[in-house]
Amino acid sequence: MVIGTDVPTLSGGDARRLGQTEMHDTLAARNSRLAPGDQIVVRIRRSGGGAGSTAIQEFHVPYEKWMRVLDVLNWIAENEATDLAYRWLCGSKMCGTCGVRMNGREVLACWEAAEPMMTIEPLRNLPVIRDLVVDRKPYEQKVASLEPWIERHAPYPQFPEPLNHRQMKDASKALDCISCMCCYSACPVIGLGDLTDFAGPAPLVQLGQTALDPRNNPDKVRRSLALTGIFNCVSCYKCEEVCPAAIPIVSRIIEPLKAKTARLLPGMAKHSFALREIVADRGRVDPSALILRVQGGRALANIPRVIRLLMRRKINPLKTIFKIKTAAAEAAGRILGAGPFK
Amino acid sequence: MTETITTDVVIVGGGAAGCYAALNLHRNGIKSLIVCKGLVGKSGASLFAGNLVISGRALGNTEENARNTAEFLIKYHNQFLIDQEWARRCGQWIENIYYPELEEAGLYFRRDDSGQVVTSPGKIRSVAANVQGNSGVPFMDLRRKQVIKAGIPLREETVATALLRKSDGAVGGVFCLNIITGEAVVVAARAIILATGYSDRLHTRSTGTREMSGDGIAMAWRVGATLVNMEMQWWHTNDIADPPSWQRMQVYPNPMLGSEKSARMVNGAGEEFFNQQQDDPLAFGPYTVQLKALARQVHAGKARYDGGYYAGFDHCDAAEVDAYTTYGKAYRQLGLRFPEQLVETAVTSHYRQGGIDVDTQTMRSSVPGLYVAGGLGGHSNGLIALATYDGKVVADGVARDLPTLSASSLVAQDLERESRRLDGLRQSSRGGPTPAKMKERVRALMWEKVGVEKSEAGMRSALDEIERIRLDLLPGMRIANSGKTANYEWLDAIDLVNMIDTCELIVHSSLERKESRGPFFRQDFPLTDNANWLTANLLKKSGNGMRFERRRYDLPIFRPDFVTKDNLEVSW
Repeated sequence: MVIGTDVPTLSGGDARRLGQTEMHDTLAARNSRLAPGDQIVVRIRRSGGGAGSTAIQEFHVPYEKWMRVLDVLNWIAENEATDLAYRWLCGSKMCGTCGVRMNGREVLACWEAAEPMMTIEPLRNLPVIRDLVVDRKPYEQKVASLEPWIERHAPYPQFPEPLNHRQMKDASKALDCISCMCCYSACPVIGLGDLTDFAGPAPLVQLGQTALDPRNNPDKVRRSLALTGIFNCVSCYKCEEVCPAAIPIVSRIIEPLKAKTARLLPGMAKHSFALREIVADRGRVDPSALILRVQGGRALANIPRVIRLLMRRKINPLKTIFKIKTAAAEAAGRILGAGPFK
Repeated sequence: MTETITTDVVIVGGGAAGCYAALNLHRNGIKSLIVCKGLVGKSGASLFAGNLVISGRALGNTEENARNTAEFLIKYHNQFLIDQEWARRCGQWIENIYYPELEEAGLYFRRDDSGQVVTSPGKIRSVAANVQGNSGVPFMDLRRKQVIKAGIPLREETVATALLRKSDGAVGGVFCLNIITGEAVVVAARAIILATGYSDRLHTRSTGTREMSGDGIAMAWRVGATLVNMEMQWWHTNDIADPPSWQRMQVYPNPMLGSEKSARMVNGAGEEFFNQQQDDPLAFGPYTVQLKALARQVHAGKARYDGGYYAGFDHCDAAEVDAYTTYGKAYRQLGLRFPEQLVETAVTSHYRQGGIDVDTQTMRSSVPGLYVAGGLGGHSNGLIALATYDGKVVADGVARDLPTLSASSLVAQDLERESRRLDGLRQSSRGGPTPAKMKERVRALMWEKVGVEKSEAGMRSALDEIERIRLDLLPGMRIANSGKTANYEWLDAIDLVNMIDTCELIVHSSLERKESRGPFFRQDFPLTDNANWLTANLLKKSGNGMRFERRRYDLPIFRPDFVTKDNLEVSW
C-alpha cells in the first residue's frame, strides 16, 4: 500500500506534452506547488453584465489541501465577496456548469488545481450575465437546432440490439461531453462571430454523439450536418487542448464528421476537395487556383482585392496558368493519388 | 406584474423522475411544464448514476440473479422499509420496458468490440451507459434532449419557492423565481408533481449538489403533506476527503464492469477492512455494510468518520480499471500514481430514504393536487431506474385523476404574501451573518449532532440550536447586494429557510425512531427492533405542531430472519 503524494513524472510520446515535466506543468507538480496555509492571490473579473464596465478585484485565499479553483471561489463567496456570482452544481466534473478562464485558459473550476496567482474571468464567446456567469442560451439553441438525436432508419429490434464498440468508438468519446462550453470559449473561429456559420466545437461534439452512431438514419445526419458550417474549422486543436473531459475533439469527432459531410454533402466540402486536388496536382497550394475553383468567376469581380493580392504577390496568374511539373508535384500526386478523396 | 403561466401539470425538478413524468404526460397528450432549480439533466442526483443494475431475467440474468437483485433492493437498499409490491411492479417494468425503451431512444449500453454488452460479474450484475462511473451523464443528456425534442416547455435556473393553493383548497400552483433575471413566475396547474430529488445537502459533508436544500420537503410540509421515515438516510463511506468540492466524488465500492474485483478500503494502520466482492457479494451497493465496517474501525480508534482511512484499486491493474470505468480520473487529476496509490476518504451524507408519503399506485400525496415522484418520495431509495419508474407511475396517476382536478384560480393573497416574503429576504440588510455562513452553520450542527451516530442528548441540543438560528439569527441576516440579476446570495437566503425547516423535521423523526436500522445508528438504541419498528414512521402536521403515527409494512416476498439484534451485527 502506498499513501501520499510523491511526485511521479509523466512520460509519453505526445508532442503537446513536451517540456511539461521540465516546466513543472504536470498534474503532480500542479497539485504539490502549494502547501496548506500558503496564500493564493486571486484576481477576479467582475461585472454587472451587459455592456457595463468590468473591474478586477483581488483576494487573498488561504490554500487548503488539493484546493480546486471552485474551492477558492467558494471560499471567497463565503468570506470576502458574498455577492460573487458564479455558477456550479455538482462539483465533480459531471454537470459542466463551472467553466471559467483561469490565467487565460479555459478550465472547469471544480477540476482544475488552484495556482499561486490566478486571474479568473468568465468564458468567452457568450454574453456575460454577471461576474463569472455567462448566458448558456446561444450555445443551447445552437445544439438544439442541430437536432442531436437518433432517428432510426430500421425498426428497433429488441434489447440488446446488434452493436459493437468498434462501431461506437468515436461516438463513445463524444458521449463523455459534459457541455461545459470550455472549447466553445477557446475556439478562434467562434471568436469571429457572425463572419462564419461555424457551429463550434461543443455543438459538433453534441452532434457527434448521434451523427457518429451507426444506428442513426443517414438522411437525418445529412440534414444536421448541413447546418454545421463544419469546414470553417481550422483544426487548431485549441478545443482539444482545453477539454476537461479529455475528448479528442478534432481527431475523433470533427475529422470523422468532416469525412461524413464530404460523403453526404460534397458541396459543403468544395474548398477541401479543391485544395487537395491542387496540392496533388501541383505539389503546393496555389492560392489563385484555389480561389478560382471555390469562388469561380465571382472571385474576379472584386477587382481591388485582386490588385491587392497581386501587389502583395499572394497570387501569381502566370504560375497558375503555366504549371510546371516539379518533383514536389510528383511526390504529392503519389501520396494523395489523383481524383477526389473518399 | 408577475408573469403567470397556466398549464395542465407543473413538474418541479428536472432529474430522472421529472423528465420521465413530462415525457409520459406528453405521450398522453397532457400539457406540462418543467421548473428546474438547476439545469434539466445537469443538476440533482440522477447525474451521479454510476451504473445501471440488471433487473429480472434481462441480459442473461439467471433466476438466482433476479432474486438477488430484488433481495438486495429490499434488504440492503431499504432495510425492509419499502412497499414490496411496488418493488415487484417496478422490477417487472425495468426488465420489460426500461432497457429497451432507453436503447431505442439511443442510450449506448457499453459493448465490447465483439458486440457483447459488458456487465459486472457476481451475484448481482450491472451495465453502464457508455462508461461505468459516468452513466448518469449520457443518460440524463438523453433525457434533456428528449424533453427538448418533444417541445416540453422548460423554466431552468428557476427555483420553486412555494406551493400555492386554489380557492377549492387543493394545491394548484407553484410560485417560482428565475435566479438569473430575479423575476417571479407563477405557474398555475391542475396538478403539481414534485420531483426535487433526495440528495439534500444538509450536512457539512454531503453528496448533494449546489441547489439541494430540502426544498421539496419543506414546501410540501408547509401545505400539510404527510412525511415518512425522514430519519432514514444513506451515507457514502468512501468519498474523497479533500478537496471540499470533491466530497461528491465516490471511490465506487460496487463490482467493476468486466472484472472480478472492486475497490478496497484500508484503515490508518494499513489493514484492509472492506472489500465488497469478498465481504458481501450480495451487497451490490454496499453502502450500509461499508458504514458498519467503518463504525467498527472508528470504535477501535483506527479511522474517523471525517477521514483517516483510505480507498483505492492498488490490488488491480490500471488497464483492468480503465477498460470500462472512470475510476482512475480523480487519482490522476490529483497527481497520484494510479492504481498504486490510495486516496484518503471520509463519510458523506447521501440519499434520504424517507420523504413525502405517497400512494404507490398513483404517487398521490396526502394533499389533493400534489403528487410526488422519485427520491423525494418516502417509499424507496436509490437507483435511477426506480426514480424513472416513479415518473411513469405519477404520469399515469395524474392522467387518471386529471378530470377530477379543477382549474380553479389561485388565491391572490397567497401570491402577494410570497412575493413580499422573497423581496424581504433580498433586502435583508441587518448586521447579522450572511446566508452562506448560516447555511454552513446549519450543516455543521447536523454533521456534529445528527451525524452517523446519534443520541437523544445530541439531537435535543441540535433542536435548540435550530431554534436559535431560526429565531435569533435569521431575522438579522445580511445580504451584501440587493440586486436581482444572478443574485446567489438571495438564493442562499431562500434555501436557508427550507434547510432549517427540513432539518428540524429530520431531527424530530430521528428522535421518534427508537431503534437502530441499517445506516440509522442510535447510540441509545443499538438494536434493530423488528417487533416495533418494521414500520413507516409517519410525520403528520396537526395545527401548528406535528404528530407521529406508525404503519406496518407488509412482507409478501422477503422478511427479516430475526426479531431484535444488534444493528452492527446485521448484514444489511
